[in-house]
Amino acid sequence: MMPETHHEAPSRHEPIEMVLARLLRLGSMIAAILLAVGIGAMLLGHTGFAPRLITAGLLTLLATPIMRVVVAGLIFARDRDWRFAFFCLVVLCALVAGVLLGHGHGE
Amino acid sequence: MPSSRLLDADLLHLRRRVLAPAKIAKELLPATNRTGYWATLLKENSILLITTLEIFTIAIAAGIVGSILGLGGGIIIVPSLTLLFGVSMRSAVAASTVSIIATSTGAAVAFLRDRLTNTRVAMWLEMGTATGALSGALIAGYLDQRFLFILFGLLLAYSGYNMFRTRKAELPGEVVPDRLSKKLNLAGSYYDRMLGRRVEYQVTRTLPGLIIMYFSGAAAGLLGIGAGIFKVPAMDQVMRMPFKASTATSNFMIGVTAASGAVVYFARGDVKPLVAGPVVLGVLLGAVLGARLMVRMKTSTIRKLFIPLLVYTAIEMIYRGVKG
Repeated sequence: MMPETHHEAPSRHEPIEMVLARLLRLGSMIAAILLAVGIGAMLLGHTGFAPRLITAGLLTLLATPIMRVVVAGLIFARDRDWRFAFFCLVVLCALVAGVLLGHGHGE
Repeated sequence: MPSSRLLDADLLHLRRRVLAPAKIAKELLPATNRTGYWATLLKENSILLITTLEIFTIAIAAGIVGSILGLGGGIIIVPSLTLLFGVSMRSAVAASTVSIIATSTGAAVAFLRDRLTNTRVAMWLEMGTATGALSGALIAGYLDQRFLFILFGLLLAYSGYNMFRTRKAELPGEVVPDRLSKKLNLAGSYYDRMLGRRVEYQVTRTLPGLIIMYFSGAAAGLLGIGAGIFKVPAMDQVMRMPFKASTATSNFMIGVTAASGAVVYFARGDVKPLVAGPVVLGVLLGAVLGARLMVRMKTSTIRKLFIPLLVYTAIEMIYRGVKG
């Protein structure tokens, strides 16, 4: 059953799930704090920096899944799992192309 | 009714409007009557506070539902924002797209820890959704939307029927992996807290799965509908993964596709921080809660929640296609 290309349990490293879980938790916690402070400030009437804090929170959250693809790709490359590293690269290229295309459409 | 009209415009204008009279009152009123100023400020601010709390509550609910079912929750967010709060469609869709990332990121932590998420299947299928979304955006305008709505609506109705047939099955039966699945090492295992044991599973129809993901990504790009509702049935019914692994893996994937859309909405200025902020924070909290609930739920319960949403979306899509 075991395919020859992938080595199960690379004991030296943390499993990819745990690394990605930590990354996503970090991203969502920073975003949540920025959003909570921003919304609190907005309700207290600080119209100057509240929207900027909220935007910073939203952008942090937005960057998290993209970082997740990058980190997954790096982990696959480290484990010499070239196929999956390539899959990550394809996803990243499609994302970048989508963003550039979307900008072109923007009215 | 005031809250709905107020939210439509940029909330900043609202704040300036509310604060200006309060400031004038402060200057005109004698110092002994300063409490009157604070009372005015509090009263005027309460509209903003209540509206924010209302949006926040709905967003928490959307986060819980979305994270349990592996969907984005746009099905709840967009109608509530437009119908209840009078937010424009563009801002509502933009806020909903960012909130899909919140559902995905908030819930994924718990799912990854329990190994419910199959990261290898996710990366494989993300190729399909990402390139599909890209081609969907490229060919949008050259295709008959009505025909697509009806086609995808019927597909969803069919998978709703299939899911209804297997509604009682807790896990798929014996699944023989295909060659590609073995080659890519897609088999997975997770500890099911509900069953109280480790579930080992195989994945099959690997290439058809990718092709379906390509079309579901294209559908998302063309029709602007959440792709989660296609991802779950594709993994559950076509690739024969356990239902919980399907919803968790779908949840993991939707964030990536939504991120590329969200960047575009940000660049266009459709993301209004004062609307999107409470929505996204609420969804984030809801998703963390929902994921904790989901790992302890029975598969049949999750299916019973999923089927009505599937049927509703199918009917809505066919209706939009027929109506034009």
